[in-house]
Amino acid sequence: MTANLVNVLMSGVFHAAILFLVSAGLQLVFGVQKIFNLACGSFYALGAYVGVSAVSAFVSAGGAPVLFILPLAVAGLAVGAVGLVVERGLLRFVYDRDETFQLLLTFALVLMMEDAIRLTWGTAPQSTSGYYLLYGQARVLGAVMPVYNLIVIAASVLIAAGLGLMLTRTAFGRIIRAAADNREMAEALGVDMRGIYARVFTLGTALGTLGGALVIPATAAMSEMGIELIVEAFAVVVIGGLGSMRGALVGALVVGVLRAVAISVYPEIEMLLIYLIVIAVLLLRPRGLFGGAAA
Amino acid sequence: MILEARDLRKLYGDFCALDGVSLTVGTGEFVSIIGPNGAGKSTLINLLTGVLRPTAGTVRFNDRDVAGIGPVALTRLGLARSFQLVQIFPDLTVLETLQAPVVSRLGRGTRFFRSLAADREVQADALEVAELFGLADKRHVPARQLPQGDKKLLDVASAFALRPEIILLDEPTSGVSTAEKSAIMEILVTASRRMGLKAIIQVEHDMDIVFGYSDRIVALHQGKVLADATPATIRADARVVDMVIGRTHHLPSPPQAERTG
Amino acid sequence: MSGRLILGLALAGLLVLPFVLSPYRLILMLPFMAYGVILLGLNLLFAYAGLVSFGHALFVGVGAYTGAFLGAHAGIRSIEVVVLVAAILGAVVAALVGLLCVRYVKIYFGMLTLAFGMVFYTFVLKFYRITGGDEGMPVPRPLLLGLDLDAMPKTDYLIGPYYYYCLGVLVVAAAVMWRIVHSPFGLCLRTIRDNPTKAEALGVSVTRYRWYAFVISGVFGAVGGALLGPPIGNVDPTLVYWTHSGSLVFMALLGGFAHFFGPVLGAFVFIFLQDAVMSVVPYWRLVFGAILAAIVIFAPGGLMGLFARRRAPVEVARP
Repeated sequence: MTANLVNVLMSGVFHAAILFLVSAGLQLVFGVQKIFNLACGSFYALGAYVGVSAVSAFVSAGGAPVLFILPLAVAGLAVGAVGLVVERGLLRFVYDRDETFQLLLTFALVLMMEDAIRLTWGTAPQSTSGYYLLYGQARVLGAVMPVYNLIVIAASVLIAAGLGLMLTRTAFGRIIRAAADNREMAEALGVDMRGIYARVFTLGTALGTLGGALVIPATAAMSEMGIELIVEAFAVVVIGGLGSMRGALVGALVVGVLRAVAISVYPEIEMLLIYLIVIAVLLLRPRGLFGGAAA
Repeated sequence: MILEARDLRKLYGDFCALDGVSLTVGTGEFVSIIGPNGAGKSTLINLLTGVLRPTAGTVRFNDRDVAGIGPVALTRLGLARSFQLVQIFPDLTVLETLQAPVVSRLGRGTRFFRSLAADREVQADALEVAELFGLADKRHVPARQLPQGDKKLLDVASAFALRPEIILLDEPTSGVSTAEKSAIMEILVTASRRMGLKAIIQVEHDMDIVFGYSDRIVALHQGKVLADATPATIRADARVVDMVIGRTHHLPSPPQAERTG
Repeated sequence: MSGRLILGLALAGLLVLPFVLSPYRLILMLPFMAYGVILLGLNLLFAYAGLVSFGHALFVGVGAYTGAFLGAHAGIRSIEVVVLVAAILGAVVAALVGLLCVRYVKIYFGMLTLAFGMVFYTFVLKFYRITGGDEGMPVPRPLLLGLDLDAMPKTDYLIGPYYYYCLGVLVVAAAVMWRIVHSPFGLCLRTIRDNPTKAEALGVSVTRYRWYAFVISGVFGAVGGALLGPPIGNVDPTLVYWTHSGSLVFMALLGGFAHFFGPVLGAFVFIFLQDAVMSVVPYWRLVFGAILAAIVIFAPGGLMGLFARRRAPVEVARP
């Protein structure tokens, strides 16, 4: 019985770990640039597909399968560079526009990336079959779970800590927080906003692509994964509070675990429960758990 | 007595914006509220126009408690306001801007299927207000294209189009040139007489305007009423002259004969 | 060329089309007309009330599933009944959802509507015993004006009687929306869009009027949704997915939301361009995404913004 519960919880935490990465990226971009990037799910999908290709290429080139997590993670991070291209090539033209148009531009990205992925990898799901269990399994509180999951969870926690440190201890982090708080003043103080925007968006994208890459061994890369994930990420940031990193962490845990519990108890409701919570949060406490003043 | 505020107190956390302000306005009065920045004028306006709820004290309009009922309900009762920073509808024409309050006043906002253009009463009423305010020849101009002075007039005119009993003007001549100021005031006063307004309250910084038009002046300082009297009395009140007006300022000559009502 | 002349020509063209166009293209006109109705409603919200909904497909789904349900569970196939029930349901759902949403603006409004849309999607997807799940439900051929036309071959039915029926509904919907937009209510909506604070100071209750606009848009959405079902013959949850809501907004933007007929034009271009692209490559999203990006960056006024000179959404008589 406890084993079952632990299983459900741990699977929820694993999902939360991935969700956190994507949501953290979303929060960073929203916090600094005030843009809600609908395409963050698409970047997640991109990371997943690239990750699969990277692992396949690595193994065919003679790499040891047991090291698969290296090309996976590296590819996931590297393809985050796409964010820079997107930011410089598209997004920067709409910084002065109404947020509706910004949102619609990210939607245009969603459309384009969905088909770009289909064009490159086709519509059949792609996976890194089998490598998932190469690291064996472990016993956690009576339940058995893949070590890979634990590695990902640990990595996510490390990244969360890293992000926290970056935001509070480094100059870059301080600038980010200042820009998020008051853009005009930051600019008046000589901050190069264009450079900051480019770097923040790239970092946000890289977090998303990494998340996508890391989830691949556990599931398959499928064409709908992008547009499905954005709704979950959206739930995370609403519950956690728009723009808050702490919110991304807590929100991801809430959504991840609740979803896992819902699936095991009453599969029909799965996301329904999450959406209802989102609506409740938006109505009762629009700024979420850790967000700033509501719009 | 139309509007009566009694012992109004407004606290923002620990900060006391208004500390026991009382004010009455009766039929036929033109009352000016003066005071330095931070004296509590904006807070007082927002309390009188139902935008804020007082922490303590009452606001009564025609003997009815109106504290915090909100601007929409207050316009129904007969109180209108204009804004310090000009508020217009950028994409609406002058005529449309004046039609909106008429529609609201006549309760025709929920007419989903009738033609607005065919509503003679609304058209005539809006046109009349436009003429009173000298904006009739610009009636089809989108508001965003108007010069600043006309925008100000439009803001005030649209409040007048509600045909309120009492109107609260927040710095009606701010942001316009000196030459335009008296023109605006003359239009205002004429319009209120023609439209049967019962009283005018204004917040003003320009002392020529204040002394030229008021029946009564209320001087606010640090959230309290320093003095509430006729212009002549205020001129002679050294405390007011010191704290509010500034010693070096030349006070205008005795008030004109122009009155409302 | 005066607006009325163009409108007259367009209407005449639409009337004559079944004699000129190929059956394939004619059948494409059907979803166009349905989307035309839907977008007339969406634009009331978008251009006149200033609210961007990312959940409007919810109402399309309500309308479409009404047709399926009435057909499957009540044996009712009369399109008039379906449209009426759809309109009522659309109004009720919009009234309830609107009550919660209209207090919020901009991104929060967008998020709330997206969430409600996805709630409906999940409901329709998961409760497959009632709704058919991801396979959806069939939509029977409707009776038009009480006439049973089952004897007609499907294509003849669709490009003949059904085409003219949808055209009729579109014309009526446009006329009704035109009245609404030019009414005292339409003026009040525009004041709210332009300056909510000032609107309140003039006695126009912002949330109440936004709510009215939301309910009206919901009705139009459901009616259009009811028309969308029969040509496809089947309704399924993808109709309600958030990306479909995004496409609706896309259509409005494409045509130019600042003009009354802009969104209808947008629907037309969207449907036919999608078809044209699909006949060459299956990657219509790539092309459309690029078009949307181009519009947002270079031509936010949409197609109407490029052709017509800039004017306010409502053409009030000018001297």
